[in-house]
Parts: sequence; C-alpha cells; structure tokens
Amino acid sequence: MSGADFKVVLLGTEAVGKTSLMKRYVQDRFHPRPHINTIGAAFASKSVSSRGRQFVMGIWDTAGSERYYAMSQLYYRDAKAAVVCFDLSERVTFDRAKQWIIELRNHEEDCKIYLCGTKKDVIEDGTKARAISHEKVLQFSKGIGAVYIETSSKTGESVVELFQLIADNCELPSAKGKEESVKLQLSKKSETCCSAS
Amino acid sequence: MAVICPHDVVNMASTMKSNEDLDESGENHEGKHPEGNLLHFEPEVAVESMLVPTDSFESFEQEAPAGSASLQPDSNLLKCQNTEENTPDKVARDTDTNVASRSISELSLVSEECIEHQHVEEELSNSKEWRSQEKHIFILSSAGKPIYSRHGSEDKLVTLFGVMQALVSFIGDDGDTIRSIHTQGTSFLFLIKGPIILACVYKSRESVAQITVQLNYVYSQIVSVLTLEQLTRIFEQRRNYDLRRLLAGAERLIDHLLIALETQPALLLGAVQCLPLVSTTRDAITNVIVSSCNKIKKLVFAILVGGNQLVTLIRMKNFFLHPADLHLILNLVNSSESFKAAESWTPICLPKFSSDGFLHAHVSYLAEDCQACLLLLTVDPDLFFPLSEAKQKIVEKLRRASLLQSINAALAHTGTPVSQLGVPEARHFLYKCKATAQFWGPVPAPPYQTTEGAKRLLDQYRVLHHRLHAPAQPLKLLYLQDNAETMLGWVTTGFELYVAFEPLVTKANAIGAVNKIVRWIKKDDNGLFITNAPTF
Ligand SMILES: Nc1nc2c(ncn2[C@@H]2O[C@H](COP(=O)(O)OP(=O)(O)OP(=O)(O)O)[C@@H](O)[C@H]2O)c(=O)[nH]1
Ligand SMILES: [Mg+2]
Repeated sequence: MSGADFKVVLLGTEAVGKTSLMKRYVQDRFHPRPHINTIGAAFASKSVSSRGRQFVMGIWDTAGSERYYAMSQLYYRDAKAAVVCFDLSERVTFDRAKQWIIELRNHEEDCKIYLCGTKKDVIEDGTKARAISHEKVLQFSKGIGAVYIETSSKTGESVVELFQLIADNCELPSAKGKEESVKLQLSKKSETCCSAS
Repeated sequence: MAVICPHDVVNMASTMKSNEDLDESGENHEGKHPEGNLLHFEPEVAVESMLVPTDSFESFEQEAPAGSASLQPDSNLLKCQNTEENTPDKVARDTDTNVASRSISELSLVSEECIEHQHVEEELSNSKEWRSQEKHIFILSSAGKPIYSRHGSEDKLVTLFGVMQALVSFIGDDGDTIRSIHTQGTSFLFLIKGPIILACVYKSRESVAQITVQLNYVYSQIVSVLTLEQLTRIFEQRRNYDLRRLLAGAERLIDHLLIALETQPALLLGAVQCLPLVSTTRDAITNVIVSSCNKIKKLVFAILVGGNQLVTLIRMKNFFLHPADLHLILNLVNSSESFKAAESWTPICLPKFSSDGFLHAHVSYLAEDCQACLLLLTVDPDLFFPLSEAKQKIVEKLRRASLLQSINAALAHTGTPVSQLGVPEARHFLYKCKATAQFWGPVPAPPYQTTEGAKRLLDQYRVLHHRLHAPAQPLKLLYLQDNAETMLGWVTTGFELYVAFEPLVTKANAIGAVNKIVRWIKKDDNGLFITNAPTF
C-alpha cells in the first residue's frame, strides 16, 4: 500500500521553505508567518494529469531539523523524485543540499533530483542578496544530471511548473506494470479459452 | 569566576524552612476525625486501567513514592506545626544511580556573592527583568556547554553556565553530588542525568521534591525527541558536543512544557483530564477506532485528544501508557502548530514506555470541522499508509454516527463551574482518581479566573500537595486556613481531593462540602472519567 502512485520527497535545511512550497502547490496558499518547524514529516497528495495520464502524487514534506537527518531515509526511501531545497540567500543551505544529493545518489539511484532555490521573491525585491550565482548552481546541477529551478512560494512563481515537470518526467512503473500484467493475464485467459474451444 | 570554597558550603538541612510562609500565615487546626462523615468513593474503575495508576511523585523512577497506601485508615486531621514537614526536602533524591549512594544532602552557599559576581560580567544576567524572574531553568552538558535557558538566550549566559558546571564538578570531585543550595529567598536545585545537568533557580514556594519532578519532566522531554540511547552515544563520542544542534526546534517543546508546569495542575498531580462525554458516547467513539484499526498489527496505542484533554485511549493488550508519557504526547500536540496543517508521521520516544527507541506516530486532526487530534502509535516504520487509511475510516464512521458533533459539543463546552455543584463554600477543587491517573476540576470562577488568581490557587494546591505527600511524613488529611482561603486536602487509597474554600468556612461546612463534592463526582452520568481500559 502506498497511498499514491508516485512518491515525491522534499528535502533541505530547516526553514528553507519546504512546507511553504508544498502548501503553495497543494492548496495554492501562502501565509507569511514566523517559521514553524515541521515535526517528523507531513504527507499530502494531489492528483495530477500529465501526458494524458491521471495519477496521484504523494508528497512528503520532511523536517529539516538536524535531529531528523539520521532518520531521513525513512522518508525518502523509494521516492521517485526528490525536491532538494535551499534558500537562495543562505549559502549553508546550498552546501547542505549538496550533501542530500550525495546521500540520495548513494541510496536511491532511481530517484530524480530537482534542485530548488527557494524564496526568489526575497532576492528580487532586494531584501536579501543572492548567496550563490545562478550560473554556478546551474552548472552544478547539470553536472549531476539534476533539474534546477528557482521558486517563490510567496508569489507562486514556478511552483506549479516545478511539480508539473516532475509529473511529466515521471514514469509510473507500478501502474504500468499492473496494467501490463492484467493485459497479459487477459490475453492468456482468452488464449486458453481459444485453445479449449 | 568565583572560587567556591568548601567553607562556603554548609549543611543547612536543620534550618531549612521550605514551608515557613505557609506556617506563618496559615492557621492550623486540629479537628475531630471527619473521616466517618466522608464518603469512600472513587469512580468505578476497571480492574485494569488504560493509564498506569500513579501516586504523586511516582512518575519518575527514583522519586518518592507517596506513602498513602500504607496509611492507617483512621488517621486524624494532622496538626501542622512549623517543623514537622520541613524534612521532605531531604528527599531531593538523586536520580543518577551512579552517584546516588554517595550523595550528600542539603547544601547552602553562605556567600551569595559567588553567584552574584558573575552577574557583573554579563549583560543579560544583569538585566532587572531577567533577575526578577521567579524561576529559572537551565540545562547544560556536563562539559558546561549551554543547552537551554528558560529566560533569555543561553548564549548570553555562558559564564553562569560555567559556574554551574564548576559547582557540579567541584562537588562531584569528592565523590559527592550537589543537590540543592538554599539561600535567603532563593533556592538552587541541580539534577544530574548522565551527560546532562539540569538546574532550577527559584524563589517560589515549591518544594525540592516538586522541582525535582519538574526537572525530570524536562529531561524526559529531551529524551523524547532524541532517545536515551542517542543522547548517551553523542556525549560518549564527543563530550563537548553542542546539543542545541539536535534540539533545534525542540526548545519550543521545553518552553511549552515549563509553561504547563507553571500554570496547570495536571503535571503536579501526575494525571490527565478527560474530555467530559457521556459514557455511551465515549464508548461509541472507542468502538469506531477499535473496529477501524483491528486489522492493523503492531499498533500499540491509539490516542484521541482535544483541548488538552483525553477523549479516549486504546492500547495493545499487555501494554500500558504512563501518564508522564501521555503528558509528553499532549505537550507535543499542544505545541506543534504544524500538525494542524497536514497528516504527519513522526518518530517519538516515550521514555516510560521505552527510553531507547522511537515509536512512529501518525498524527492528524480529525477534520477541518473537528479539532480533536488522533495519534496512532506503532513500532512499525512502514505503517503510515495503513494508518492513514484507518484514520479516514475512523473519521467517516464518526461523522456518520454524529460523533464528530458530540466531540465538538464537548470541546465547545466551557466547563462546569463549581456553583453548579451546590457547594457554595467551595471555590474550587481538584479531584484525582488514582487508579486511572485522571483528574477533574471545575472551571475557575472568581477570584481564580484572573492570571494572578489562578497562579495563587495553583500555589496553594502545590503547598497542599507537597505536605500531603511529604515522604518523611505523608498526611491523609490536611486543613489549612489563611486569610485568602481555607485549603483542604484529603488522600485516600482511591483518590486525592484538594479543595479551596472561603477563608472563613467552618470546619463542619467544609466537611459537608467535601461530602457533596465526592457524591457529585460519583454520579457517573458526568462522564468526567474514563473508567474502562479498551484494547485492540
Ligand atoms: N518571502 C518568502 N518567504 C518564504 C518563502 N517560503 C517560505 N518562506 C518563509 O520561510 C520560513 C520557513 O518556511 P517553511 O516552509 O516553514 O520552512 P521548512 O523548510 O518547511 O522548515 P522545516 O519544517 O523546519 O524544515 C517561513 O517563515 C516562511 O513564511 C518564500 O517563497 N518567500
Ligand atoms: Mg517544514
């Protein structure tokens, strides 16, 4: 039992904006408010349509607090896509994102990685300066075969696009597998039918 | 840094005066034995309780067991002389088993300057507001690294933490353990728990035993987020580790727990309050949860809470939840806004249940239109989706049976005022059913509905509680009169009752009122207590 057809996990240092990202995508809402730590992980699902397919995306919004690091495998295991978030204005969160990526590469080969620079609005309105140049991050993500995207949960910029991209890129092995095996069985059945007659 | 000389430390045990205030202001009465007038009652209790029954102070292993069980049934109203209960502070039990046997008892710094000097160096500790706090709680590692401070940032108190560490290790060097320091008006209490030192500096009238319980609660809150295994391992690997890294975000849990300790009687009593529900309604809710979960193996506890009260608790056969663990769960729910937003899956260690491992908790509020929180606790990390499905079923069934409405109605109810009980002399009371570790009290009415009033009342309950459970001389019945109110405390094998009366109430009226209260509690149509112990 999985609760969803396709598992996506959000990873990243605390307060980079994972919960806000999920909320913007699932509920299309953003409440500016002081940071509230996620405890453990939160789950939400959303049905998506992509390339003529309709399926349910299950999203795990993990807690970024350090004490959960040792347990994060519990949350990303079998994920087909990971959105690794960092705050565009905080260098350390990018360094931490790199560590997540290494860990994912080691444990979840099949997990597609989406590197996500968050809080773009803060950079754009000049409240805070960009900590790493766009080019550098882009170069890094190309090097590891990851997609790079910059989002703002406040304005909604690129949020739907990010998840749509994930949906478009996703393969649904289990669903496909099921369909195929059903077809196979059907054809087998009809075969036997035929041979019997 | 001040140097602490052995000469500064004197044994003050004989001159301790923990209850001085009370004794000075309180008129203490001898009285006729009222027991004959009092009903013997506790709500009918199943042989097995869903919560581990508690005597007060029993919540943590090494604390003083309350002596009520061994009391003779006909002890008299006790006289409260100035000295008789002053010994309980000796009970400051050392909870660290490594050193327990070598502990020394009371200590006092004669020269307050030792501590005083430090303040000069620091901005924060110099601040008037900071210094005027009635109670400080500090947590540090045995290497002296700051972990937590209740008031002000622990970063700005490095020197103070250094002094505390020095005190602990100085006394520890001799094979002793520092427990408490008592000065005029201020007491310092230390609790050493493996690699962690907890300290409380307080001006309140609380007893050493009560503060010890509180520090133990704080410690178990830390264990609850880390497990004892992890905590021990970290400091074994790096003595100098900065534990704040791992506790980031959990300070809020400690803050919240301390506020609860300061403002609510639940932790003092070691009991929880139930959401009042007609028993058939509660049973129906329980049955819905049981029937929706009975196919799920490895589900250890299902707990439904609302408004800091317990709606129902279902447990796996042969497993019990300790009220101290339930308090940590309630604290987690009450201080975590994030649970309201989405279905959560979080590790949680329940120190009483098992301090070395995590349980996995599926946490969710029932519905947008029903703010009761359901926790499904399991040992299986792969159970999220089955539990999520079970939760959906539970909500559907509750909704169909209009039980969500019943829960909402109970949650919206502002509580029963004491005036509804027909006991005009009584202003407030707390009734604790020992076997079920549950308690009930009416909503505070004047003069206790204000913050100060509520605080004074809780202080009075603390004094009463402390004296009744004084390990050196536990009491069965205590009657204290001062100019603000008359307090009566009564401990039987089945229950504990604490009542606040008008100051001028006569003893006969007080006893009459107590009888009425107990009779009223006895009516089981109140639905104030959960009297069965459902299992999956
Ligand atoms: N201006 C702006 N603020 C944001 C944005 N995203 C998040 N925030 C703010 O950043 C803070 C942290 O956001 P969260 O979404 O709770 O962070 P998180 O990554 O879930 O944090 P943890 O749960 O602790 O790991 C909050 O105060 C948000 O309001 C954004 O796009 N723009
Ligand atoms: Mg979050």
